[in-house]
Amino acid sequence: MGNALRLMAVDGAAHALGLAPGMALADARARCPALMTLPVDPEADARELARLISAMARFTPMVSADPPNGIILDITGCAHLFGGEAGLVRQAVALAAYTCRPALADNAAAARALARHGGRNTNVRVLPVAALDLPDEALAALRRAGLHTIGDLARRPMQPLAARFGAETVLKLRHILGEVASPIAPHRTLPPNRLEARLTEPVIRTEDALEVIEDLLVQAAREMEARKLGGRRFVATFCRSDNARRRLMVETGHPVRDPAIVLRLLRERIETLADPLDPGFGFDTIGLTIPRAEPLPSRQIGLGDEQEEGADSLAALIDRLGVRLGTDRVRRIVPCDRHLPERAQALEPAMSTQTGIWPVAEHPPRPPMMFDPPQPIEVIAEVPDGPPHRFRWRCKLHEVRLYEGPERIAAEWWRRKGGEGARKAGLTRDYYRIEDACGRRYWIFRHGLYDETPQPRWYLHGLFA
Amino acid sequence: MVDSVIRLREGEARAFAPEARATPPPLGRGQLHEIHARQEDGAAALAFALCASASGGASGMAILVRMARGGRSRVVLNGDGLALLGFDPTRLIIVEADTELDLLRAGLEAARCPGVELVLLEMQGGFAKYDLTASRRLALAAERSRACVIVLYYDANPRATAARTRWSVASAPSVPIEADGPGKPAIEAELLRWRDGPADRRWRLEWDADHETFREEGNRAPMPCAVVPLSFVREGASGGGGGYSRTA
Repeated sequence: MGNALRLMAVDGAAHALGLAPGMALADARARCPALMTLPVDPEADARELARLISAMARFTPMVSADPPNGIILDITGCAHLFGGEAGLVRQAVALAAYTCRPALADNAAAARALARHGGRNTNVRVLPVAALDLPDEALAALRRAGLHTIGDLARRPMQPLAARFGAETVLKLRHILGEVASPIAPHRTLPPNRLEARLTEPVIRTEDALEVIEDLLVQAAREMEARKLGGRRFVATFCRSDNARRRLMVETGHPVRDPAIVLRLLRERIETLADPLDPGFGFDTIGLTIPRAEPLPSRQIGLGDEQEEGADSLAALIDRLGVRLGTDRVRRIVPCDRHLPERAQALEPAMSTQTGIWPVAEHPPRPPMMFDPPQPIEVIAEVPDGPPHRFRWRCKLHEVRLYEGPERIAAEWWRRKGGEGARKAGLTRDYYRIEDACGRRYWIFRHGLYDETPQPRWYLHGLFA
Repeated sequence: MVDSVIRLREGEARAFAPEARATPPPLGRGQLHEIHARQEDGAAALAFALCASASGGASGMAILVRMARGGRSRVVLNGDGLALLGFDPTRLIIVEADTELDLLRAGLEAARCPGVELVLLEMQGGFAKYDLTASRRLALAAERSRACVIVLYYDANPRATAARTRWSVASAPSVPIEADGPGKPAIEAELLRWRDGPADRRWRLEWDADHETFREEGNRAPMPCAVVPLSFVREGASGGGGGYSRTA
């Protein structure tokens, strides 16, 4: 096929112009200069198909995917709810909101063949043999034998067909004709993990309510263990007898199902509530939902796995501190591929980031402590680009004893609109590493060159050890 | 009484013994240490804390607990700068607390956590909640989990706490490199208090990039001079010799 770009799919308008999948992009452009194309993204297609399958669940519980671009609905006993078969098809097409080729048949294989190869036919016997979905050689063999439609095959006895064209051909034929059942594997959406405790007597004390939650957590843990899942988000709902309800949510950095850990986080959350949990006349229904769950296989506990235990307790510590102080208060330093020193790193919540490898720096040394924002200082320095001689910071005068520099760092003009134009790039910085008479080392910079700005200002950006 | 006098004498003797003089006591694990510094010497104090506690190939997580500070005097740690001090920035988790109590609670919990190797609590002058009781709690937690707990105390007067060692750290003038540039990081560390030995001593320490630690100036291993490698002469290879032997 070479390296030519080819069309993978075309819409109705393009089809009317004579374009078809498999055509080289250059040919298609030659026929239709105004052609609009998008790169193929199979993963996004699969996601969209999954979304459509979940949406189709409103018509029938028996929905299955026919990759890459089909959906099979078993509408046995469902059609009358939507105004008959025609009405159901109309509604399903409207819900999909795509160009659809719907087809109805007595079994899944026939419906599939009609949808993909049938056009407006409703009789499978007139379909071409391509509808059997066989390899190209098998199809060629059938055509050479003068068998062009399904009907041609169906009229003949099966045994000679199987002997000549293989058992698979016959099996597919019998599927389409409905002689052999062609069941579908329906896509089942797992019910969300939701538990509820209805109490005959409302509980007033928070401790009692938490005990109920603990029971629910134990139940949920059992269910999740069977499904090899762990929760990442737990929502407890407290319904009061006067119909007021309160939701509390906790999140964890790793999937967990240990009731004790979740209960501890919930306690933490209740303690830090600005508006305390008010039981009123008591909670009569307490619910627990686990809206976000991730795979968590059961783990074999090794002997002397202290390191693993340490990692576990560290994750628990991060979760606990995150619940109490806020997730964005427990952070890690993450490297960023940026040019300016203050943007070359970012603080990201520790719960959602994993430890990586810190890149080896290829620039002159950076101070371990930096001011954000840089602190303005008054400097006496040679004009235009000499080193500083003395500077005043926090009302104190510092004499510069030693200096190194400048390290010139340009502004990130490529991120600025029109930054490539003259005088629009932003101000260049000249960094100096200096030591004052007391022996303290500072990182200071002049913001702007003299040809960029008439009065460049100086800033103290960091402290060296 | 006599016993204590003798012990004091012993302590003095140790202070003047050459090996006691040579190296400052390390910030051991399972202990609480306090480092006092002025705000301008913050980087020096941080470098001292990270390096003194990292001796011995530390690889566990480090947790820095500090006050959440808004406004114009926010100080952030720079990963590249920490990496230059031999500290892997991916080991660090920074926790910010709103109140003094939250800070101490978070610090205590971190100190109790088994997977944590280093806990740094950053405090600033007049931190009323940090007293003998709070520091004793931290020390006990450190003892149990074998974590090294360090209180970085800026702009404050030392008070009675349960810390094993108490230091005062400041930047020191560096030895200039060529063309009058600032040299390697240098700090002046004064041992104000040490439970296991004599205090009131000071060291002038300089960064040693080869060993990724601070060392006393002028007290380092002698520079290896040019050594001509010895050629191996195989025993018995030459018939006539026989007198050569392999030198290892």
